[in-house]
Amino acid sequence: MQIEFQRLLRSLSEETALVAAIVVLIVGLLLAYYVRRWIHRMAGRVGITGAVEGTPFERTARNFGTSTVGIVGWLAALFVYVGAVILALQFVDLLRVELFWSQVTSYLPRVFVAILALIVGLIAGDKAKLVVAERLRSVKLPEAGLIPELVKYSIVYIATLIALGQIGVDTLALLVLLAAYAFGLVFLSAVAFRDLLAASAAGIYVLLAEPYAIGNEVRVDGKRGIVQEINVFVTHIESDGEVYVVPNQHVLRSGVVRFRE
Amino acid sequence: MSALDALFDDLVADTDAVLLFSPDAATVREFEAEDTPAVVVDQENDAGADQFVELPLSFTEVTGRLRFGLEGAIRQGLIEEGDTAVCVTSVFGDGMDAAVRVESAEFTQTGLYDLFVNSRADPSVVRDVFDVAIELGQKGQKGKPVGALFVVGDAGKVMNKSRPLSYNPFEKSHVHVGDPIVNVMLKEFSRLDGAFVISDSGKIVSAYRYLEPSAEGVDIPKGLGARHMAAGAITRDTNAIAIVLSESDGMVRAFKGGELVFELDPEEY
Repeated sequence: MQIEFQRLLRSLSEETALVAAIVVLIVGLLLAYYVRRWIHRMAGRVGITGAVEGTPFERTARNFGTSTVGIVGWLAALFVYVGAVILALQFVDLLRVELFWSQVTSYLPRVFVAILALIVGLIAGDKAKLVVAERLRSVKLPEAGLIPELVKYSIVYIATLIALGQIGVDTLALLVLLAAYAFGLVFLSAVAFRDLLAASAAGIYVLLAEPYAIGNEVRVDGKRGIVQEINVFVTHIESDGEVYVVPNQHVLRSGVVRFRE
Repeated sequence: MSALDALFDDLVADTDAVLLFSPDAATVREFEAEDTPAVVVDQENDAGADQFVELPLSFTEVTGRLRFGLEGAIRQGLIEEGDTAVCVTSVFGDGMDAAVRVESAEFTQTGLYDLFVNSRADPSVVRDVFDVAIELGQKGQKGKPVGALFVVGDAGKVMNKSRPLSYNPFEKSHVHVGDPIVNVMLKEFSRLDGAFVISDSGKIVSAYRYLEPSAEGVDIPKGLGARHMAAGAITRDTNAIAIVLSESDGMVRAFKGGELVFELDPEEY
């Protein structure tokens, strides 16, 4: 295919080649314009414009008189246009150093994907930070402010890794770092959430099978009372103004005595 | 207009505290600069005021709104009993257009604030149940007026003091009041006889419950029916509160500790 194309190019007369190059340039320009328009329209339709609203990246983009969708649109248009220019140059046979250019043409999509990954990563990071911060807003604890930042930079880090991988930078050291970080996260949370996991696993059984319901009189772990509340993690058992909050794994481990009246 | 000015000066003379109902941020700043303590009463603390009482409902009726604000301020210790407070609120429209002087010593607390904040159930649960009852009162069930009885909080005890009239449609379903789809379910089930039982955290424990507390010595206003009597009695026997939508006059009433605490007309919302 590549060889045939080259042969076709050589068979053309100089005038035809020039005309063909100009046509390719114009078509490329039009295509770039329509790609940009299409991205704007699609972004509006699938709600990307609304989703990126309020993220710091969007705000920075706004300061430069554009928007996230605008940047992506321009990038796509630029990509299409540069492609067209390279094709046109091939027609007029200006490409003596073919090896260099073929590398560039294969490199170009990767750069585009890398930039896109970076933008998506930045926005996803900002968005995740906002969502997590919103969730944690009722927790009035200064330390909780660290979690949204951590989530944001984790996402940005992964996006950067993808981008660097695309343009062919050696990311092995960074990958090792990521693996260590992920392992630490999984290990620590497994240790920290062990009881919660056990409670919620037992809680799912308790909620689905309902061995006892709200209003039943039960005894768990030697504590007797009326069940007031059952949720995924704990069961509230009340007697004489005292509420025992029993973790659900205790319910399964030691069993429940239900009293019938 | 000096007579009017004098009258107004009398109204605001020697006030110990000002209660601002749904003020804008600029007004809050101005009042916070003054010596007289200002308490903001609103649904959300947009202005970031230090002294703040949260309104659980919008309270279109003025006395209910003032009562809630005052009781809330007293219970939170923002104003002391015996203080003279001036409430600035809106009666018509959105802006603040009325000032009401209240001697808190002469003002009897009905427990309206306690109903929401110091009940066993979460304040948001109480509010959600009120919302359902109000909506049901406005629209009825397929256009016909309907009655309903919600017993909120202390569900374990309530279940022990009641018996099922039929199969419980909420058995083994873990749904919570306040979910839009659950509110539709509640409205559909409101044609069933009996009470809804809702737990402290808002879980709907049962429908179709026949409450059997002892109604001896329950004192509720004459003219209210069996549903209200059951509501009053169950709140006296347990720590639950009861929210009743009356089928005959369409009012929403709340009971706590065996007494009628609060009533409102859904049509005004």
